[in-house]
Amino acid sequence: MSEKKYTEEHEWVKLEGDTAIVGITNHAQESLGDIVFVDLPAVGKEVKAKEELCVIESVKAASDIYSPLDGEVLEVNENLSNDASIVNQDAENEGWIFKLKVSDISQVNHLMTLDQYKEFLDK
Amino acid sequence: MTEEALQNIYLNNFHKNNNAKFVPFAGYNMPINYKHGIINEHIRVRTHAGLFDVSHMGQILISLTNENIHALEVYIPLDIKLLQFNKCNYSFILNSHGGVVDDIMLSKIKIEDEEFIYIVYNASRKKVLNKIFKKTILNYKIIQDRCLIALQGPDSFSVINSILNLSSSMKFLDIEILEYENTKVFISRSGYTGEDGFEISILDNIAENFVKKIIQNENTILCGLGCRDSLRMEAGLSLYGNELNEEINPIQAGLSWALDKSRLNDKNLNCFHVLSKEINTSQSIKKIGLSPVNKSMLRAQMTLHNENNKKIGKITSGCYSPILKKSIAIGYINKTLDMSEKLYVNIRDKLEEIQIEKIPFVKKNYKKGD
Repeated sequence: MSEKKYTEEHEWVKLEGDTAIVGITNHAQESLGDIVFVDLPAVGKEVKAKEELCVIESVKAASDIYSPLDGEVLEVNENLSNDASIVNQDAENEGWIFKLKVSDISQVNHLMTLDQYKEFLDK
Repeated sequence: MTEEALQNIYLNNFHKNNNAKFVPFAGYNMPINYKHGIINEHIRVRTHAGLFDVSHMGQILISLTNENIHALEVYIPLDIKLLQFNKCNYSFILNSHGGVVDDIMLSKIKIEDEEFIYIVYNASRKKVLNKIFKKTILNYKIIQDRCLIALQGPDSFSVINSILNLSSSMKFLDIEILEYENTKVFISRSGYTGEDGFEISILDNIAENFVKKIIQNENTILCGLGCRDSLRMEAGLSLYGNELNEEINPIQAGLSWALDKSRLNDKNLNCFHVLSKEINTSQSIKKIGLSPVNKSMLRAQMTLHNENNKKIGKITSGCYSPILKKSIAIGYINKTLDMSEKLYVNIRDKLEEIQIEKIPFVKKNYKKGD
């Protein structure tokens, strides 16, 4: 298992082989507030990095979730359709949103490390 | 609007110290929620009590003279002379074609034997209304040294009563002027959440202590505009800028109950000719409540469609209802709609089925007379 990587769109990515688990960061869930609905992507959907893939709705507003990498949606976190607040409770573990079959692993190198993400947040 | 141009309400620092998250609203930097979050604040108001600082709203005291009544009745569809003292009246400022310039709370009050019309109006409409007031009335004071605090929820009476000496006969829409720390406090049994509650107009310099006393009650928490919006939506109440604007008249907005019908034949009301005709005509649009058939979130500006994908209306307000645990919305549809047809909403270019719901979504809990 590799360490988590982060995007400027406040998502985290964890690689397991050529599968990427993706969710939003704790910072993102805090600023979104109460999350009430996740419009999960369709399994099998092919996406490019930085493309809008699905939508997360907080009480306040809808926010786009982007794909961090090129790939195909392998699995979505069905638990979120019953209880989207899991994202508030545990954004970076149980609150994962989708898994991608990554087409080009080397793209991961463009993402931020935890230290870089923290620096990004402080800006 | 740039952040620099935002105004702060008087208790801004107090809210900051209480970990408020702020959003720009109607030119003010306003608390949207505090540490408990919008859903918990919402539920607290429905079960106990929540305190809102709504000091961004406009407040004005107008000398109760025949000239001022005549001038105000050009815009306001009430018979002000006949109104009882110490009662709040929900009403409107109307333009010449009956469109809503603002929705207001108007009451006649006495302060030390002097008689006034007291109006509370929307922050977003201050500029427009202040211009109208300046042009048409004499002897008035736009209040700038008072906070407006709303305490809402079933525990409100007992919480307020431990601080101010309320009369037990006070019911929904009554307003009283009370003495508090040698000042006058205007307190009405009203609010905009569908719950029992009070709105209190209190001098700036004693407001913080007053608010602190209220939230000493263990079941009362600070609440922001976030849950105020979901509370008023559950209660089916209209919001200026969403359900109400200068292109919609009160009849179309389903608010004809708030019109004094006798005024619709009065030439002094600037839009009497429009409203007197409209009140007897079947309206082209209708306000409805909606919820999604499947899970999705309804938001303002989403368009409504019939089975043939023809656009037949628009959502004006949408939110997540913490009580019903699903999305609810208010919107307008063309009245010609065949109600047996299925109804759809366009969510990010996908049509999703929705259903019509009764307004209010959640039963109102006002303290009416026995």
